[in-house]
Amino acid sequence: MGRSWGATLTVNVLLPNGRPLGGVVVTVNPVSGPVHPAAPVQAVMDQVNRAFAPDLLVIPVDSTVAFPNSDSVSHQIYSFSPAKRFQLPLYRGKPYPPVVFDQPGVVTMGCNIHDEMLAYIVITDAAFFGRTSAAGSWSADVPGGGYRISIWHPRIRDDAKDLGGELTVGEQNGGTLTLRLTKQLKPAPLEGRPHSWDTY
Amino acid sequence: MLLTAATLVALTATLTARAAEWELDVDTRLVTVDGPPPIIAGGLGSVRFGGDESGLRLGRARFALSQNLGELFSLHLDASSWGDRDKTPVGLTEAYLQLRPYPYAGFRLRVKAGAFYAPVSLENRTSGWESPYTLSYSAIDSWLGQEVRTIGTEMQLDWLGRRSGHDFDLGATAGVFGWNDGAGAALADGGFTLTDRQTVLWGRVGKPGVPPVRAAEPFRELDGKAGAYGGLEARYLDRVVLRFLRYDNNANPSATDFVTHTIAWNTSFNSAGLRVEGGNGWTAIFQWLEGQTYIAPQGGEIQWPFRASYVLLAKRFGSHTLSARYDKFEVEGHSDGGSEDDGWQKGHAITLAYVFQPGARWRYTLEWLRVQSTSYNREEFEDGPPTASQTQVQLAIRCALGPLAQ
Repeated sequence: MGRSWGATLTVNVLLPNGRPLGGVVVTVNPVSGPVHPAAPVQAVMDQVNRAFAPDLLVIPVDSTVAFPNSDSVSHQIYSFSPAKRFQLPLYRGKPYPPVVFDQPGVVTMGCNIHDEMLAYIVITDAAFFGRTSAAGSWSADVPGGGYRISIWHPRIRDDAKDLGGELTVGEQNGGTLTLRLTKQLKPAPLEGRPHSWDTY
Repeated sequence: MLLTAATLVALTATLTARAAEWELDVDTRLVTVDGPPPIIAGGLGSVRFGGDESGLRLGRARFALSQNLGELFSLHLDASSWGDRDKTPVGLTEAYLQLRPYPYAGFRLRVKAGAFYAPVSLENRTSGWESPYTLSYSAIDSWLGQEVRTIGTEMQLDWLGRRSGHDFDLGATAGVFGWNDGAGAALADGGFTLTDRQTVLWGRVGKPGVPPVRAAEPFRELDGKAGAYGGLEARYLDRVVLRFLRYDNNANPSATDFVTHTIAWNTSFNSAGLRVEGGNGWTAIFQWLEGQTYIAPQGGEIQWPFRASYVLLAKRFGSHTLSARYDKFEVEGHSDGGSEDDGWQKGHAITLAYVFQPGARWRYTLEWLRVQSTSYNREEFEDGPPTASQTQVQLAIRCALGPLAQ
């Protein structure tokens, strides 16, 4: 990106009770004209205390992700998601080359040794993308025009077809899309439970 | 000779190249207890310690090892010393090889071969088959730790729904085993107890020569017939676990070892469990187990149906956990020749525990446990009143070292 445009596109995500939802993945593409995916990046998803850190990444298509493993124990990371299937033995002192994600989609990852480990990588071919703030809001400066917006979060239950919309962004006034979920979120992953539990 | 040396060198090189993951724990206890000595010391007590055992005790010294053997296999060894008089001062509670291929198309297969626990307990969820809630296990899990172990092989097939965008995971388990023909003897003779004393492989439960339990040895093969179990598990996100398991050691109740005068115990049970965890630190666990054990020495058949259940409630505040558990248990005594009451035991227990675990290395636990039970054998073998209550208070300090300690 790097360029700046005058028009501001804002997306707000609200829970059914009207409270904001942070951390939601937002992807934005122009309704017409050529789509230019954002430039690939080199991202890192570490393994710390038998958990992925971070446990959700959004990256442009063709980006790479390194899995360094900062734990003193081994991990065996896998995905059987259609967007990227892989198996990664992460042993101590044996770094593995970063993985290239060349198909758009959502990749769900687990560890074959530690069942409670769960993380997501969203690979997008969108021109603009990001995640909502704690205030449930995300915005970007875009050229004026029509945009198709979609959102994703592992805890959202609403049907994917309801998770987005179209928006015309004026050069002067910008544009705001507010999406209110109709279904309650799935429960959050439990926090504070030691990750070494459930070996039986 | 040369070949052996070469093998040893190769093995050492492999181990050093891919260092094994290990854990060393020492758990010491300050105990105050009343009532009779525990079964391992020849008494009919209902808890881990008893008689004159108040004071400073070894809870457990444990060394565990996990070694990846390539990407598919791993080896797991768990050795413990309990500071009491078993056949050997140190023994293995588990030792198995695991085949763990990566999941394929949402399904995952796991195969274990060796000696390990069948998936029944929902409280014994930390390494070493320990409970993060209490020191003493429930009556159900105490019995499993004492007499039931898979020495054989187990296959588990899981459907990983959560990794495919669903909220549920489902699993099925099947095990085939030998060397568990003694399971049930200590339960029929000593009744249910609440303890964390796991019997090591080929170890014994009671004290040699002291009735009624004597030196019960659960891990024996007397009839050459394999036992089996099958189980189902369903999980909702990381919040709810529901488990069923049917176990049958399929022992021939007339098979006898004439050298040691031990008989095979035909033991079978059904078990079910539900664990629910809330986002606010609350955990609720319910487990139920019902079954029977019987022997058929020449000219007779004696059966002991048994059942037990418990409810545990725990609340975690950061690194502090408060737990309360109520246990109920009963062993019926039935025989076609002797007394109707032979071996009969019925009781209940309340366990209250506070655990403070500030990090991986140190864990502090204070536990109060009171068991009230009525036992026919207490009157028969100890000249005591059949009904008795026993109270045990333990302060435990555990130090854990090594990369697996977390």
